[in-house]
Amino acid sequence: MTAVLDIRGLHLAIGGRHRPTPILRGVDLTIGVGEVHGLVGESGAGKSMVGRALLGILPGAAVIEEGRIDFLGRDMIRLSERERRRLLGREISLIPQDPMTALNPVRRIGAQVADVLRLHLGLNDRAAWTRVVELLDEVHIREPERVARRYPHELSGGMRQRVLIATAFACEPKLIVADEPTTALDVTVQRQILRLIREMQANHGTAILFITHDLGVVAKICGTISVIHGGRILEHGSTEAIFKRPTHPYTSALFAATPRYDRPGDQLRPVPATLLAELAREARALDEGRRPGAAGR
Amino acid sequence: MTDGPQPLIEARGLRLSLPDNARRGLWGPAPRIEILKGIDLAILRGESLGIVGESGSGKTTLGRTLLRLYRPTGGHLAFDGVDVTALDESDLAPLRRRAQFIFQDPLSSLNPRQRIRTILLQPLRAAGLLPASPPERRAAVAGLLQRVGLSPDLAGRFPHQLSGGQRQRVGIARAIALEPDFIVADEIVSGLDVSSQAQVLALLRRLREEMGLSLAFISHDLSVVRVLCDRVVVMLNGEIVEEGPCERVFAAPRHPYTRQLIEAIPLPDIDAGWLSAPAAGHSEERRHAMKIEGCTALVTGTSRGLGRLYVETLIRRGARKVYATARDTEAIRDLAERHPGVVEIMAIDITNQASVDAAAKDADDVELLINNAGVNNLQSLFAPDGFEAARADMECNYFGTLRMIRAFAPVLAANGGGAIINMLSILARVSLPLRSGLAASKAASLSMTQTARAVLARQGTHVLAVMPGVMDTDMERDYPPPKLDPQIVADAALDAIESGEEEIYPGDMAGGIAAGLSQDAKAVERDLAQYQ
Repeated sequence: MTAVLDIRGLHLAIGGRHRPTPILRGVDLTIGVGEVHGLVGESGAGKSMVGRALLGILPGAAVIEEGRIDFLGRDMIRLSERERRRLLGREISLIPQDPMTALNPVRRIGAQVADVLRLHLGLNDRAAWTRVVELLDEVHIREPERVARRYPHELSGGMRQRVLIATAFACEPKLIVADEPTTALDVTVQRQILRLIREMQANHGTAILFITHDLGVVAKICGTISVIHGGRILEHGSTEAIFKRPTHPYTSALFAATPRYDRPGDQLRPVPATLLAELAREARALDEGRRPGAAGR
Repeated sequence: MTDGPQPLIEARGLRLSLPDNARRGLWGPAPRIEILKGIDLAILRGESLGIVGESGSGKTTLGRTLLRLYRPTGGHLAFDGVDVTALDESDLAPLRRRAQFIFQDPLSSLNPRQRIRTILLQPLRAAGLLPASPPERRAAVAGLLQRVGLSPDLAGRFPHQLSGGQRQRVGIARAIALEPDFIVADEIVSGLDVSSQAQVLALLRRLREEMGLSLAFISHDLSVVRVLCDRVVVMLNGEIVEEGPCERVFAAPRHPYTRQLIEAIPLPDIDAGWLSAPAAGHSEERRHAMKIEGCTALVTGTSRGLGRLYVETLIRRGARKVYATARDTEAIRDLAERHPGVVEIMAIDITNQASVDAAAKDADDVELLINNAGVNNLQSLFAPDGFEAARADMECNYFGTLRMIRAFAPVLAANGGGAIINMLSILARVSLPLRSGLAASKAASLSMTQTARAVLARQGTHVLAVMPGVMDTDMERDYPPPKLDPQIVADAALDAIESGEEEIYPGDMAGGIAAGLSQDAKAVERDLAQYQ
């Protein structure tokens, strides 16, 4: 398997130089060509931070302390700003969580999709517009010419997410980071959007880093997964294997805490406090090893 | 609800409309938008009722109305046997104490500048039950925190210093401070991780048992509702489309929308078919596609032209049964003879109420209604008898179609939703000088079709407007060629029913005009004015 993305030993911390708070603690993650890889974790696990480190859109106070992010032979951490801008939107793109804030409210839909085409592919206005209409049609938007002339507020959440998916696939990227792309949507719409992502992904052979907290969504769309907690990958492997037999107790605990309408009799068990304490202890030990004396907060 | 225990909360035909400020003009009041359209529900003591639906279904508004945070604009609401529908705020005090609300987002519903202690004492203060001495107050706060599984040490913290799960439990503690009988919980676990969610759900279960609490649990997450609630109501567009014990509703949902909601939940199981099942449809509009094969259809105006073709085309496409109807059954006898056992002929005069009512009673198995009958009185707007001609066009084309839809909507609902085809014309969108009566009646029918589509979507009925150009039929014999082969129209309409389209413009003429209208409507109007 050739890897599109290979992250090795990624350490990332937020905060002051003297007492930085570790967010990622040696993350390893590999995604093969055309693979949909789920990064699953609860809030605060660091899953979004992995995607942001890869895209180079970290918050100001975050510092990559160590590690390597290899994207098709390029080291994303040491890339110049210019090179990174050339890559983003073209070879790596993002499907964001909130389809409202990701679109500029005062510009027409079509113009926003056309931006990436003009910038990265050098299309002129006319050619870009033609391609925009094709793309909107490809994501099953009816009357694409008409929708292209609308403003974001005129579209439903699901339609806006379709527009963003069209934008993400516009330049045939090798990798897409999808950060909770269906969390803000109603369930019936979520299903359609997942279907669309799957269909587009299969047609274009794009690899996807699918960031989510939802085990149900992972089960439906990801071929491989990594389970992240406290900035550490606790378990990774094929979705099938992990769903059949999770090896890490935290993964099992996540399953036990997830309600299922088909098994209402199951006792819902929160992740045991003892397990969380154990995980925190392991994390502290790791921090202590890297920065003696600084950990232990 | 006459027998059995008296419910704690009972709503009958509850309606609520609010001003729609998005559509407010420069002057005058904003138009009102109806959010709850006649809700019937009852919640027993100690029962938890799940209220599910998607965004915009009115579930949050319903929760707030049950607490009389809104004054209903219709229907009745009773709390513990007392009618509270129209009580003034001052008379609502007892209700306010006994019924509480837990908000979706604890961060925005807890005052960020107050400590947890102050937040938890607030309801007691408002009810005049604040303990006098500081030690008593401390004990009250500690007791509340303990009941929701939090450490009393958190009393001195501010909301932002707590985790999401802890904050939500503070919200619960505040709600139970006055020992209420009824709590409305609005999406209270949707922002939480599964692990905190499991804790909050376990807490709600426990409190319910300890306090005998009635709960209205509003959620978009059906799995959560299934594990927590006894009964569930499913809301769509301000109405309850299904209601029943969770066990029954989840095992055997009756309304197609409920089925759709349940199937859309991704269970944490590997299931390759879940994503691939039906082909990716167009956009997320809810569509009511329907199969022609095996269906029972009724076509009006089958004595000639397109009506006849509809009958033949339906049969060719495998319809199980077709009611061919016309004012005069003599003219359609041959259809029954040619297709024995499939075509049933029936006399319907769509301008006659009794005739239409009788048909709806007889043809109670119809799933697809094709409103094809119509007249075309070629008459200039200003001709001496132009007025009567226009009235005749309207009487048949508009009122006749409306009469049919009114009579057959309940039939379609009883047969699982079904579909309606309204045969209009491109003249619903543009007018021609010599056909003003026809155009007016078709334009009115288009408007009616849109309303019918919006209203009947709730019962699962799909409504299609077909707007072709001039067809090569007997009715249009005076019109110069080129004219559209009506077979193309019949095929396009039935295709559209199967794919769930809402408006189609078969043929070059109609398609061209429709495209022109979306570009420059006035230019189209000027062009067409030349066709005398």
